[in-house]
Amino acid sequence: MNKIHSLDRLRNFRQGIIDQRKKFAATMIICGGTGCQASRSKDVIEAIQNELASQGLTEKVHVRATGCHGFCEQGPILVIEPGNIFYCHLTPEDAQEIVSKTIQKNEIIERLQYKDPVSGNRILTEAEIPFYRAQNRLLLSMNRLVNPGDIEDYIAIGGYSALGKTLAELSPDAVIQEITAAGLRGRGGGGFPTGKKWTETRNADGDEKYVICNADEGDPGAYMDRCVLEGNPHLVIEGMMIGAWAVGAFKGYIYVRNEYPLAVKNTRIAIQQARDLGILGENIFGSSFSFDIEIARGGGAFVCGESTALMASIEGKVGEPRAKDVHTAVDGLWHKPTTLNNVETWANVPAIIHNGSAWFAAMGSKGSKGTKILALTGHIKNTGLVEVEMGTTLNSVVFDIGGGSSDGKAVKAVQTGGPSGGCLPVDKFHLPVDFDELYAAGSMIGSGGFVVMGQNTCMVDVAKYFLTFLQDESCGKCVPCRLGIDRMLEIVTDITEGRGKPEQLDLLEELGATTSETSLCGLGKTAANPALSTLRYFREEYEAHIHNKKCPAGMCQALITYQIDSETCTACGACMTACPYKAITGEKKQIPTIQLELCQKCGICRSECKFESIQVN
Amino acid sequence: MPQTTLDTILDGRRSQPHQLIEVLQDVQAQNGYISEEAMRAVSKELGVTLLEVYRVASFYKAFSLSPRGKNVITVCTGTACHVRGAKLLINQATAQIGVETGKMSADGLFTIENVNCLGACALGPVVTTNTDYHHHMSPGKMRKLIKSYQKNNKEEAANE
Amino acid sequence: MTEKVSVTIDGAIIRAPKGLSILDAALDHGICIPHLCRVPAISDLGACRLCIVEHIQNGRSKVTTSCTLVVKEGMVIHSNTEKIKRLRRNIAELLVAEAPNSRAVQDVAMRCGVKEVRYPFRNNNCILCGRCVRICTGRLGEKAIGFVGRGMDRRVVAPFDLKSKLCRECGWCSDLCPMTMTPCGGPMHKGQERLCTNCESKQTSLDQMTGYCVACYFGKGFQCERHPERFTGIEE
Repeated sequence: MNKIHSLDRLRNFRQGIIDQRKKFAATMIICGGTGCQASRSKDVIEAIQNELASQGLTEKVHVRATGCHGFCEQGPILVIEPGNIFYCHLTPEDAQEIVSKTIQKNEIIERLQYKDPVSGNRILTEAEIPFYRAQNRLLLSMNRLVNPGDIEDYIAIGGYSALGKTLAELSPDAVIQEITAAGLRGRGGGGFPTGKKWTETRNADGDEKYVICNADEGDPGAYMDRCVLEGNPHLVIEGMMIGAWAVGAFKGYIYVRNEYPLAVKNTRIAIQQARDLGILGENIFGSSFSFDIEIARGGGAFVCGESTALMASIEGKVGEPRAKDVHTAVDGLWHKPTTLNNVETWANVPAIIHNGSAWFAAMGSKGSKGTKILALTGHIKNTGLVEVEMGTTLNSVVFDIGGGSSDGKAVKAVQTGGPSGGCLPVDKFHLPVDFDELYAAGSMIGSGGFVVMGQNTCMVDVAKYFLTFLQDESCGKCVPCRLGIDRMLEIVTDITEGRGKPEQLDLLEELGATTSETSLCGLGKTAANPALSTLRYFREEYEAHIHNKKCPAGMCQALITYQIDSETCTACGACMTACPYKAITGEKKQIPTIQLELCQKCGICRSECKFESIQVN
Repeated sequence: MPQTTLDTILDGRRSQPHQLIEVLQDVQAQNGYISEEAMRAVSKELGVTLLEVYRVASFYKAFSLSPRGKNVITVCTGTACHVRGAKLLINQATAQIGVETGKMSADGLFTIENVNCLGACALGPVVTTNTDYHHHMSPGKMRKLIKSYQKNNKEEAANE
Repeated sequence: MTEKVSVTIDGAIIRAPKGLSILDAALDHGICIPHLCRVPAISDLGACRLCIVEHIQNGRSKVTTSCTLVVKEGMVIHSNTEKIKRLRRNIAELLVAEAPNSRAVQDVAMRCGVKEVRYPFRNNNCILCGRCVRICTGRLGEKAIGFVGRGMDRRVVAPFDLKSKLCRECGWCSDLCPMTMTPCGGPMHKGQERLCTNCESKQTSLDQMTGYCVACYFGKGFQCERHPERFTGIEE
């Protein structure tokens, strides 16, 4: 392949791709992200390609297998352009009908259309779907324009031109100035001003400097980094290159979770393609800038989201954080100055350089600029990735985009920011998605996981869940984190199992404060947030467990018993088949009984009963 | 594991201590677990002390130090899957197979594991068996899934 | 001659050689900041967190461990504020609840003002201070033992949990281990989560001498090198 060694070549190369694609009358965009692959989108893509071939349309219709669109719940998803026609829940068997009706005759197939769960109406185009309508999909919208395995797609939409502009026109200081003026803050959780970080690395002594992309999205309930890296790896690479130019780095690492096999694969391909075209390598676009990227796969440790632990892991060591009295921007990977940013942060860089800082700074709230991708999940109608302008209220996210609670009951809370964040009750939903405002309310944006919780969720159990997670993920190096989390978990477990004492709530608060203040790294410093925020906003639930020995949500196994409601039970026997402990017995066509001494209160019978006849006392 | 496999994995990485995690990832993928013998070999070839290899292998969750079952059932216990009942799936699998998470079943057929997030939160609860994804799981679907593996295994045994 | 910098610790201006930690600088000048995981002259971990201090920067205070904080010209440090005392007491309480069966840990807890322990006692054999690991890998360069596993599984062992071939049985690890010190005979059992009255009576005098070396009863191999003469005849 010919290398692109100048900006003119890049422009010509791009024009060539565009010209070559003029022959296509239509484009079929099919999501091939992890979520849709789980719903067999690979088979759908293959079926559509076969169908186009058999109807002789291969030269007229362009099939683009893209990364994640963020609406995984509806997968596999197909968008047909022109027309923006949106089909969802596809199966390979639908391919024939789609090609012969919609592609050939412009006929719409109603049963494949999206049905709005709020209004019940069928919706024709992607743009009209309420889930998408209330969003501002700066980064995510690009995913549908590119096949992550094809660098030509990315160049066709203007990719690497921001890098070209940087190398031709902007000095490193000018780049940093743009990023600073844009007000970009780290999307990984801390919200640290990106420009400030870059300045520190740029000003640090030494010629050997590094940039790192953190794609170790360990936060359970968040997957925007997977989506961006998997769906548009070149965007992240371009952002890293601009950053490397600014700070003076010659080498970059992408630290990606091994639990994201598709992201690893797509990034590998992207790096290789960029190398083949000379976009990564020596004297990029004929400039003095040389740069290359290597992939490091994470080993499955949440603590490696902490910068010092992540760097230790890239060095091939145990991911234990160290004291950070000197920032990693100055003393980082192999003790060299290192700029570490998260996937979403890097992905924002090319557009800022391309459109200017004023364009970016015009979006968002006072202290938080631009957009943020949130992973909206849990007990909610529309789940998926949503990208909203900073400053959008939680109400708008949960109700306008998410469509409200999935079971029709009231929403109880939203958990934001994963294990480092907290739970916010409905009366805080007027708060905006903003680094500082959510922090002040005892939570944080974190990496952007938004888990909506309904009435069946016990908030003490939520605290226990996160503490269990953190106990498992703490590296164990420092006392407040290792023992503090363990003792907090001990207290919360006591409460959920009916042994709680009123004075333990004060102890929990004091211990939480100590852990936050004195832990070595960010994991420990934020570990108490889920417990403290639930205690702050849902203290009455804790008290019900302690004083009345009751779990109001009916979740805590030790405090409940199951019973079969003879009025609604149809004696179908599903619960008897379902119970793995054989604790439900009875004759055929008779209402069964639960043998309390055998019952493990696992809740499987309740989830399998179609008539809601298993009651919790 | 065969020496040739290890040689392929180590190719181009010898005497590069920072490749330790990458090498162990590949050993894990090839072999299903990391044996003492493999650790000793990796230590020698990469020039990393045995202590450091053991520390790394025991620290990261991706590495298993004992053999795993023929089928690895991984239940996602990320927040989104948790609130949609991932715990029920673990209850179902452990009770049905009769083995706790992280251990291999007596017949060597299964290991049940939990993972903190697979990044398919919108489809939760999610389970993977080996490399296949299963979305919107329920205890009932889990029961059938496990049964299908048990049945397949019996048929394979009968055919041999 | 080594270059020196001036730092202020608890109001006292101290001239300390460049590269020294705040903890060492304080100890050298008779200001006793409680500490446990520190091994003199070996790189510090920051694991026990007992040596926390408030570091004042641009008018804002940051809690950090003094053993990992390197002296810098003009630094302002407070080692004994109400906030630090409260946090330190809570950490010591966590530690002593884990291992009330060690005199060293008891002493540290007492020194940090712990009277009652609000968690059930556990009588662990190891508090993961890492003193043994650092003497083995740091000073002796043997790398026979190390931290293995993570979180609650973290433990100090040799590879594969067997005895390492690299061990020369020099015994430094057990000399430095706080768990080898026989505890006092106070009520140290589950259900009696208190330190004994003996400790409490000492507490009163400690309260009046905060911030100064009190020559606490750390045993052989464990003493901070401030007053070695006081340890020649160890009181039992």
